[in-house]
Amino acid sequence: METSDKLTAVVSAILKYAIILSISCIIIGTSLMFINGNANGIPISQLANYENPKSPSYNSSSFSPVLIPQGIAHFDALGFISLGLWVLIFTPVTVLISSLVDYMYTKNRLYTILTFIVLFNLFAAIVIVPHFVTN
Amino acid sequence: MIDYGALTEFLLILAGGVAAGIIGSLTGLGGGSVLVPLLTLFYGVPIEYATGASLISTIATSAGSASTYTKKGIANIKIGVGLEVATTLGAIIGALTFEIVVTHSLQYVLYLLFGVVILTSIIPTVKRGKYEYPEEKTLDFTSRVFQLGGKYYDEKSKKEVHYTGVRWWLGEIIMFFAGLLSGLLGIGSGALKVLGMDWAMNLPMKVTTTTSNFMIGITAATGSSIYWYAGYIQFFLASATAIGVLVGSRIGSAVLLKISNKEIRWIFFTVLSFLGVDMIFKGITLSKIYNIPPIDGFGIAITFSIILVILLFIKLSIAEGKYGNLR
Repeated sequence: METSDKLTAVVSAILKYAIILSISCIIIGTSLMFINGNANGIPISQLANYENPKSPSYNSSSFSPVLIPQGIAHFDALGFISLGLWVLIFTPVTVLISSLVDYMYTKNRLYTILTFIVLFNLFAAIVIVPHFVTN
Repeated sequence: MIDYGALTEFLLILAGGVAAGIIGSLTGLGGGSVLVPLLTLFYGVPIEYATGASLISTIATSAGSASTYTKKGIANIKIGVGLEVATTLGAIIGALTFEIVVTHSLQYVLYLLFGVVILTSIIPTVKRGKYEYPEEKTLDFTSRVFQLGGKYYDEKSKKEVHYTGVRWWLGEIIMFFAGLLSGLLGIGSGALKVLGMDWAMNLPMKVTTTTSNFMIGITAATGSSIYWYAGYIQFFLASATAIGVLVGSRIGSAVLLKISNKEIRWIFFTVLSFLGVDMIFKGITLSKIYNIPPIDGFGIAITFSIILVILLFIKLSIAEGKYGNLR
């Protein structure tokens, strides 16, 4: 049994368009950051200060992904940058869901289970495990 | 009013990302292996943020190149997804270990491990490509149960290549460690993934490298989300490196196709081994075992890496039986 051609085409298209979408969002976000001189109200000089990992206001722990729609609505730089980064993180999830659908459709039971396990691991990494690492 | 100081800084990091992407692509080790040392040793970025930025950039480069390879049908999605069972689990444990290491201020361990991983990755990577098709091996029960067969069209030999992998279980074990290192060091662990599929599972090199590339994105995404919530993704850095490494890796793969003298890659292997040695020195200094002044460390690292690469070059050339056909 070989990977179906349809799955190959779908996965290739997802990867291609996701990377275009993601990089576009990051470019829009960084352009806004430089034009406005701030992002989410934080001055750019402080955003660019990456030497201290202990300052929580400027890294991802202070910007939950649930704030992304609000950020986009306000045309905020951090909203766009975060969206771009989360599109990257979610790209493999989309690829795996496509694979899962394909294996279910072709009644490939073993690979349906294996893909489900991988999806579960990713789900755990995105939703469950973070509860143990956030302060 | 645009803050030109910040803009310059952004462009400098972006340029570093481009350089990391080019070197990572030309050596076959991936942008992350170059980006983390570059950011920590030369830009003064804490290893926490460098690792986070590297993981994000790794997803971008993986998606960018995997799109082409999956379209051509070379990367085997099924084998890749199956092996991701172990890799994603390894990445979760790796990212959690990273969090423990950082909260206990044991960053020096990361520097030491990073250096060792880069240096030990160079040998299998330079050997890669010598044997395009693996020797035939007796198929085992995993070949059939886990459907490890596949085919692809080889443009070079203009023929369809059929293959069947073996020892799925061994591939899974190696992949677990590849995931662990990815989550812990922010790299794609391409060298270990290749070892798992080439050496353990006896898959053709083209299938191995392209499937590894496809898998790297899934592994890195697993670690990235944990890094996000732990606060190791610094927006300013991650934006610059994601764009930079992606552009760099594109340039690198275009250059790789055009250069006829592949020995030029040895220059980049020297750079890579220099970064590996310098990371170890920084780790030793941070661990307070011995204080190596940066200037001295720099000189020793350059000398050591040049000697190491020359020795490796000669050893492989002798093993090959002639000079100039290392890849």
